[in-house]
Amino acid sequence: MSRFKIANVIAYGFVTLFSIYVLMPILVMVLTTFKSKREIFLEPLGIPSQFGISSFEKALTVGLGSFMLNSFIVSFFAVFLIVTISGMAAYVLSRIDFKINKYVYLLIVAGFAIPPAAVLVPLYTMVSNLNLLNSLFGVIMPLTAFGIPFTVILFYAFFLDFPKEVEEAATIDGCTKLQIFFRIIVPLSGPVIASAAIFQTVWIWNEFLLALIMLTSDDFKTLPIGLLKLRGEWTSDWGAIMAGLTIAVIPVLIVFLIFQKYFVRSLAGLGK
Amino acid sequence: MNKNNTQINSFSLSNDKVSVTILLVPALIFCTIFIFIPAIGTIVGSFYSYSLTSMNNWKWVGFGNYVKATQDEYFWVALKNNFIIVFASIVLQVGVGTILAAILDRGIKYGRVIFRTIIFTPMVISSVAVSLIWLIIYDPNVGILNAIVKSIGLSTPSKGWLGDPNISIWMIMITAAWQNTGFMMVLILAGLQGVSKEVYDAAEIDGATGVKAFWYITLPMIRNVLIVAILITTIGAFKVFEFIFVFTQGGPSNATQVLGTYIYLQAFNLLHMGYANALSVILLIIALFLGWLQLKSSRKA
Repeated sequence: MSRFKIANVIAYGFVTLFSIYVLMPILVMVLTTFKSKREIFLEPLGIPSQFGISSFEKALTVGLGSFMLNSFIVSFFAVFLIVTISGMAAYVLSRIDFKINKYVYLLIVAGFAIPPAAVLVPLYTMVSNLNLLNSLFGVIMPLTAFGIPFTVILFYAFFLDFPKEVEEAATIDGCTKLQIFFRIIVPLSGPVIASAAIFQTVWIWNEFLLALIMLTSDDFKTLPIGLLKLRGEWTSDWGAIMAGLTIAVIPVLIVFLIFQKYFVRSLAGLGK
Repeated sequence: MNKNNTQINSFSLSNDKVSVTILLVPALIFCTIFIFIPAIGTIVGSFYSYSLTSMNNWKWVGFGNYVKATQDEYFWVALKNNFIIVFASIVLQVGVGTILAAILDRGIKYGRVIFRTIIFTPMVISSVAVSLIWLIIYDPNVGILNAIVKSIGLSTPSKGWLGDPNISIWMIMITAAWQNTGFMMVLILAGLQGVSKEVYDAAEIDGATGVKAFWYITLPMIRNVLIVAILITTIGAFKVFEFIFVFTQGGPSNATQVLGTYIYLQAFNLLHMGYANALSVILLIIALFLGWLQLKSSRKA
């Protein structure tokens, strides 16, 4: 019995310690926001004596609102395109018996393996030649492409298990394949669409490398690139930097906490 | 069984070429234009010497860029750092993630969802924001790491936590683990929850409980999930970019470069486009090899 108790203490102790390790930086971020410069320097471990908002006012001057709007536009369109295009392709791959099917699938897996850093120069050259540097469209297009392979794989596994009787009945009723896909398959695919959309939103909202090389003008920067400006602008004014981060991070955390069940489910499914 | 399959397929999409085309072509166009053509462009470009400003002035150098890479000590440093990050990430993220998952699965009774939610949280924060938050923690003047280390009577590194490459690579690992361990935990937890209760009951009858049962019975049963977790971590370790870009910019004197940041440096700071392409091809080969491993392991699963 006592051995059981010790094991229990160790188990709770370990997850509690790890939770503190996870929460501490977020706490530091929020507390630093309210501290005075003097407090930040002299009492790194202390809590702020008052809740001033001057740091927030400074942070907002770097244009966080516009960065966030850009991130929102890029995420919305890219995720919509990724989910639609991948769903369509995965449906075909799961329902045809062409030999070519296998090679297309292999190609998709290869596309999944290739990281943006491995095609950086030609991709930059192409977007530059198309005069799409510093445009949201110029980032949405390649991001969409890089999101497709993984999402196709996700949908493919789902469609393989999808009961085919409904489709048979619809075919007998004279539906075309396109109608079947959009009127029958899509409405019944809610969970997998949600999983794919959540996963891709997290990825695109946070994507850094492609946005970094393509968006150099402040008007078009997405949030991750824009955040670097905080450091450039307020070199050692940690209050302002942390205030900017708080503004950027807290909304994401709130969305996550509301939908945490779906986030966890969408990522947990990867191992299966 | 086989006959049944053919029947389903014969009424299915294969005889409707218009639908097949409309549904399949957009994905192929996107991937071809933005992934496959640039991949071929990377390979072709790696045999030339050119810079961003002289885009029309390509000079054929054959394998020159690859020879240059083998003689470039910083390329080897970058590759070595990638491998350090791979191994450390597997230990820290998959290893600790497995322990956390095991505890949340069967080790504790209360607060599972709360612990899971907290530990998973950093996954949704962008790596740039994560890096900037940890930057203040590591800061030699205002950082809480210094404050904590001093308060327990130890001395802090003289060049700061990020100034000495032997230390900073580990600071990068701690930050990466902070962001990704929760993801591994959730992935492995899903695998653990698939192990049926009867297995544990049977194990208990054989006298295997607790850690022993976990090591000899549970771990082998979630082998496939662990392989996927290790592959995802390895692929992620070769994509590491933001932490290094924000923390050290690859410095001091290139000691903390990884392939991603070194390619970026060569291409967009030094404008050695051909050389950057050659480095990209090396990354491409590693990535495709890992992708192939993943495909093989998922087929088994």
